[in-house]
Amino acid sequence: MAAQRRLTVPGRYPEIRKICEFVAASASEAGFDEDTVFHLELCCDEASTNIIEHAYGGEDVGAIDVTTIIDNATFTVTLQDSGRPFDPTAVPAPPDINNDLAAGLSTDELSQQLQVGGLGLHFIRNLMDEVYFTFDEDHGNTMVMVKYLQGKDV
Amino acid sequence: MSIWHERLPHSDSYLVGVSGRLDQSLNPELEETLSRLLDNGHHDLIVDLSHTTYINSGGLRCLVSAWRRARSSDGTLRLCGLNARLQEIFAMVGFDKVFEIYPNCDEARSLGRRATS
Repeated sequence: MAAQRRLTVPGRYPEIRKICEFVAASASEAGFDEDTVFHLELCCDEASTNIIEHAYGGEDVGAIDVTTIIDNATFTVTLQDSGRPFDPTAVPAPPDINNDLAAGLSTDELSQQLQVGGLGLHFIRNLMDEVYFTFDEDHGNTMVMVKYLQGKDV
Repeated sequence: MSIWHERLPHSDSYLVGVSGRLDQSLNPELEETLSRLLDNGHHDLIVDLSHTTYINSGGLRCLVSAWRRARSSDGTLRLCGLNARLQEIFAMVGFDKVFEIYPNCDEARSLGRRATS
């Protein structure tokens, strides 16, 4: 039997902490260890920041709707907004620092590249097991992040 | 939750401490503190993260941006005291290769630039 929880907050930076705490509480309930709860919190922080910055283009433009679902094998966080279409897959991945250093790129050149952004999505892609994005006129942007429950084979 | 800074004794270096979470609540204050020090010609900086419990991409960008400014003026920005979770975050984006990171803040303090006057 799946356990579902839902939270809706205004799209404002101080509200992100509430989203993180809400997701952390659900993740603890799902049985994740503290390190994984920390990772999930970071992913939700980055995803919510992207919604305010890119989908809404600022604070107080629209709401952020958060749903968590715990089922037999997975923990799923869904974030929805009513902002403009934001395709995170269009965001370039940050440079591979280890390779770029090997290629002789100076640290100054590297740090310039790192300003471009995409760091938050890099965390999300690294820390979640599955990530999906969809957009439709009725529901706006939907971002689904899935983490497999520990000790479960999916 | 706060940001504090102090001039190291017998040195031109400043240490900036972060107590709490480097997220939207503290990042603007950290950015302002580092910018002000750099604006005033202090380019040798140490950021003490031993009381920092969390960092997001905004916090990382703020540190990289100050590091770049310090470097462009022949200074640097060192980090110290990162806990295991913060170290993991830095390593995930390769920032452990960009910054000089000291586990021990006393060691980082001892590297502060000696006063020229």
